Amino acid sequence: MTFDSNAFLIILTGTLIAISCGFLGVFMMLRKMSMTGDAISHAVLPGIVIGYFVSGSQRSLEVIIGAGLLGILATLMIEGLRKKAKVQLDASIGITFTLLFAIGIILINMFAYKVDLDQECVLYGEIAYLPIDLWITKSGLNLGPRITWLAGLNLLFVGVFIYLLFKELVLTSFDENFSSVMGIPAKGVNLALMSMVSYTTVSSFESVGAILVVALLAVPPATAFLWTKSLNSLLKLTAALAILISVLGYYLAFWMDSSIAGMMVTVAGGFFLASALIKGKKPSWFKGTPKESKPLGI
Amino acid sequence: MVTQIENPVLEIHDLTVSYDQTPVLWNVDFSLPAGKLIGILGPNGAGKSTLIKAIMGLIPPTSGYVKIFDKPINDVRARISYVPQRESVDWNFPASVLDVVLMGTYGKLGLFKRPGRKEKELAMECLEQVGMTGFVNRQISELSGGQQQRVFIARALAQQADLYLMDEPFAGVDMATETAIFQLLRDMASSGKTVLVVHHDIHSAMNFFDWVIMLNLHLVASGPKSEVMTEELLRKTYGGKLNLLTKVTDLISKKEFNPLKS
Amino acid sequence: MEDFVYFFTFQDPSIAWVVIGITLLGIGSAYVGTFSFLDKKALLGDAISHSVLPGICLGFILAGEKNPLYIVTGAFLAGGLATFLSSWLKKNTKLSEDSIIATILSVFFGFGIVMLTALQKSGNPEIAGLNSFIFGNAIGISEFDLMIYGGLSLTIILVLTVFLKEFRLMVFDPAFGRAIGFPINGIRFLFNVLMILAVVIGIQAIGVVLMAALLITPGAAARFWTDRLNSLLILAALFSILSGILGTYISFVIPQMPTGPWVVVFLSLFALISFLVSPKSGIIFRYLKRKNYLRKTHRDHLLKSLYKALEEGQKGLLIDKIYELYPFQKKEIHQSIIDLNKVGYIYNNQGIIILTDSGVTEAMRVVRLHRLWELYLNESLKIAPDHVHESAEQMEHLLTPELEELLEKRLNFPSLDPHQETIPREKNDLR
Repeated sequence: MTFDSNAFLIILTGTLIAISCGFLGVFMMLRKMSMTGDAISHAVLPGIVIGYFVSGSQRSLEVIIGAGLLGILATLMIEGLRKKAKVQLDASIGITFTLLFAIGIILINMFAYKVDLDQECVLYGEIAYLPIDLWITKSGLNLGPRITWLAGLNLLFVGVFIYLLFKELVLTSFDENFSSVMGIPAKGVNLALMSMVSYTTVSSFESVGAILVVALLAVPPATAFLWTKSLNSLLKLTAALAILISVLGYYLAFWMDSSIAGMMVTVAGGFFLASALIKGKKPSWFKGTPKESKPLGI
Repeated sequence: MVTQIENPVLEIHDLTVSYDQTPVLWNVDFSLPAGKLIGILGPNGAGKSTLIKAIMGLIPPTSGYVKIFDKPINDVRARISYVPQRESVDWNFPASVLDVVLMGTYGKLGLFKRPGRKEKELAMECLEQVGMTGFVNRQISELSGGQQQRVFIARALAQQADLYLMDEPFAGVDMATETAIFQLLRDMASSGKTVLVVHHDIHSAMNFFDWVIMLNLHLVASGPKSEVMTEELLRKTYGGKLNLLTKVTDLISKKEFNPLKS
Repeated sequence: MEDFVYFFTFQDPSIAWVVIGITLLGIGSAYVGTFSFLDKKALLGDAISHSVLPGICLGFILAGEKNPLYIVTGAFLAGGLATFLSSWLKKNTKLSEDSIIATILSVFFGFGIVMLTALQKSGNPEIAGLNSFIFGNAIGISEFDLMIYGGLSLTIILVLTVFLKEFRLMVFDPAFGRAIGFPINGIRFLFNVLMILAVVIGIQAIGVVLMAALLITPGAAARFWTDRLNSLLILAALFSILSGILGTYISFVIPQMPTGPWVVVFLSLFALISFLVSPKSGIIFRYLKRKNYLRKTHRDHLLKSLYKALEEGQKGLLIDKIYELYPFQKKEIHQSIIDLNKVGYIYNNQGIIILTDSGVTEAMRVVRLHRLWELYLNESLKIAPDHVHESAEQMEHLLTPELEELLEKRLNFPSLDPHQETIPREKNDLR
């Protein structure tokens, strides 16, 4: 097999995005906020559309700012519903993300003549077109695919963010009260993390879509967590999974001629299921001793 | 029976605290001396944990104030240490014993800085004090209840504070741990630290503490053990809640807002 | 306007069909959703609704067309698998519930997308209809679809109504249910089946992504208004039906608008309005109550001042003197004077405010409560006399006649408060 630069670029970009999401996802998982991450990745949609509408371009700073603001708004709305309206957390999340996502879809339809965003693209992106979307400077210099640069920048920011705030993130995830007693601003750290998640969602939705962002936030960390009890190896394992998912996802999608993003999620799901079967307590039928079974009883 | 103190370490002035607007502590007013091992006693739902959370500013008071070392809490955070209830965290969290104890040093480190050799040495010292040196690299999910409690206390020690607030450190621990922790707390008190412990068992409290605070929605007593541990005061503390106070509490919790908040 | 009349007179049979369909569907999902909301499993519905996508695709592949029977069966199986997996993972791994749900949801959905893209590339012309499952399109539902979906909705509604007692037990106290011999696991299984069914038919109108709203939001909105299960279910169904019809109307008037998002927006609007105005927890209601209460406290304070003046032998107080007593509350005191004048507790005699007979009675009541509470704090709670005033300042506005009587009995009708001031009663009237 010869070196296929397009394949390399797609896999590289997928990996960069997967690692960014995975690192943030680890902390979201440890805070038991995976579903909040899911909510944010849906909720940024209206921000993207408005940013697009204002600037007239999908590649503008306005889009990122709009999405970032919406992500924070979603976090605040979930908190507000929970604290002020005393709606339980899961319902607050459900109400918030469905409303904001619905508004996003409506806005897309309203601005359809001006905003060239289609709903499917928002949901599952298309990483396959990435090699033709090049970043060319005014002097005509070709710097390669724009989205790869964005993903790289994203990973850099996420890396710096986690490096600088590592101990605060760990402490507030493990024991929020204790950190408050020490005077570490738990709320501020939380909001910063949510902002990073929103930013990561926007910077990757173009290529991989909202659903893959959700999957990459949730699945690799959950898979890695089944295998390890230490945070460092949890992060490393998540990164390793991110690479594996991108490589396998790309080639499987290529082979089956289907969505790369979707295939990456499917591969991630495969790893997760295998890990759960290996590391989970064995079900009774697995050991051969019959025990009462509770089908569908969650 | 409330003994007030000149130049107290901790002064609580007419503190009323509400959870979701239902008052759980009424007009608590006391002051505490330095260098003592102090127990907070009271039945379930008496507001013991609420009291120490309010002291640390984790729950904003409905009215009244708290002063520590004659200053508001935010000015003296570095001198206060906290041991939360063991069940308040998820012990499946991926961290080693050393990681958790190092968390105690984060307050003094400040933003962006990481714990270095000095902090690690301190953490090891604290682990030695609680007899956990053999478990430094053990993951916390693999510890027993008593060991988890020891780790929490080591983390508090690593804060190098002057005032320690502990929420049920003896709950669900084995005898050996109980004795070890108690001895450690004694030593801390004799070296001039003030240790405030929420405790549920009256019998062991008799032996443990120098000073006792008795709570049951309101402050029943606060003073030296010998003066406070009387049958009358214990009956007041454990003999059910005051009927009238409970009724008033119900009345307020049914309002649409908290009328006690100014 | 023409559209409005045309739509809401339901003269077009296809509109009538759609409205009937969306009404049944709305009731069904609101019904199931309210239970899962009360059961604190709201997001499981979200997971299920994302998870049915691969099942829908599978049904499509097997049938070769958009056959509702195949699609419902496929979706049902996928939803069932997702529900089973999440409960299995919860029991057998250390992962937390939110992590499990996020994982299941995204993996199933991702797999569904893979199947969908594969189908799209297969070139089957029927495939266009499949996309509507993602965002929903109530208008596009055929009559045959409606028969099946409506029938299933009706089944859900019937089963839930028949087993209302059992489901209530499952949500509120399963341990007790088990103890008195109810097959709680079986009930839960049945409930999960109904939930999956509700999701499967709901996504037809509202789409996979937004289905969660149809389950969660009606119950949450209704919860602001009532504590009783029956009225909760009826109200939730009502919100759901209204939003469903309004959403359908919008997508009828503006054809490029999808139905689902508008249904969600209307549902959320109902929830938001409920949150703002409901008497139970509404922000506006609470604000008004509090404002009223503050007005009362100011009135009480004025009455007290006038009564204290009376105790000191002054018949009334100069208005300016009163303003001096409350240096930062001039506006409030001004309002109190007007209010008290209106109810006849005080009158203004050339700039001097004087209590009327009924005013003295009321003022005595407030002062009495204040001093009784001070005494109670001092005697029963052993609080020092110099620490009791502030609490009494708050409680004097709150204590009910019933509590006053209790206090009197508890303190044995005392005559003096901790500051040796007389506790005023009718017999030591100062008039």
